[in-house]
Amino acid sequence: MKVRILVVDDHPVVRRGLKSLLGSHSGWEVIDEASDGAEAVDKSGQLIPDVVVLDISMPKMSGLEACRLIRKNTPASEVLIVTQHDSPQMMREAGAAGARGYVVKSNIGRDLIRAVQATSEHQPFGWDQDRTARSDQKSSDLI
Amino acid sequence: MKLRILVADDHEVVRRGLCTLLQGHEGWEICGEAVDGRDAVEKAKALKPDVVILDVGMPNLNGLAATRQLMQHDAGYKIIVLTITDADQVIREALDAGARGFVLKSDAARDLVSAVEALQRNRMFFTPRVNEMVLAGFLDKGHIGGKNEPPSLPKLTAREHEVIQLLAEGKSSKEVACVLNLSTKTAETHRSNIMRKLGFHSIRDLVVYAIQNNIIQVQTSQVTPTETSMHS
Repeated sequence: MKVRILVVDDHPVVRRGLKSLLGSHSGWEVIDEASDGAEAVDKSGQLIPDVVVLDISMPKMSGLEACRLIRKNTPASEVLIVTQHDSPQMMREAGAAGARGYVVKSNIGRDLIRAVQATSEHQPFGWDQDRTARSDQKSSDLI
Repeated sequence: MKLRILVADDHEVVRRGLCTLLQGHEGWEICGEAVDGRDAVEKAKALKPDVVILDVGMPNLNGLAATRQLMQHDAGYKIIVLTITDADQVIREALDAGARGFVLKSDAARDLVSAVEALQRNRMFFTPRVNEMVLAGFLDKGHIGGKNEPPSLPKLTAREHEVIQLLAEGKSSKEVACVLNLSTKTAETHRSNIMRKLGFHSIRDLVVYAIQNNIIQVQTSQVTPTETSMHS
């Protein structure tokens, strides 16, 4: 059975790029896309994707808030944050919000496929750079 | 015969998005991809594309400097610059460098195909903001930007602009020399000349100058609902 992915980013060109990168992997299917956090929460509730690839900086509702709500409303869906923010603080916040993986956009070529693979198997990805974020991630697993 | 397009952006996901967007257009093909301005200049010279699409905020050599280099090499290049901002200065520099198209990254999915089509017909493509600025400049003094033009800065050479970007990105004089295929002594001379011309005494001053003049772009860690960076 294919891994079902929801792609969320406010920039259409980035969504298109993500869909192209993810769609080239056999066994994965991009089932839909969303352009802001609120739409991501709505579509996650309707579609229950296996993985939500989620940007942070978006209009209407940020990716962090969307992550919290997705994890609360649709716990079966794992969240992989894909963001420009390469900072320990942001990683901590993403971990606390319940994200399973964290990829910095400048490393997408290297990390995206491995990150989706890991998160689809409910494994953490990308937290090694920051111990606090990883511990927050473990804490959030208990919620 | 297909229209051949070179796409340059340092972010793979954006490049991929741009390529899929353009490849979907009948009669167009991506003849090459570049990961920074220096790579773009080399590939444009080698591949001779019909249209070059250059991101402004690229490492090593930014899109505006790459535009200048290409236009100096051959004024026939048709270049579209992609930017995250249509601030006056960026517009002014893009037009001055010789770009014939100006597209905001946030609007790329809507405007880029139209921009390439315009250049294909030997026309130009600008955002409404650019059109307003050009018109205002024309009505004012016949200069782009007109009376809003900032005070003139010390005249720097194209090579000095390249050195500023590399230094501001954190490279040492030795590394600058390596990237630009110069001797370390020549790179240090460029560095000294730049500091003297701009009246700077530290690299910090240089970094601030580079940011203020869009020679490099910095990403923000702040999360705001209105942020428009393509790489958010």
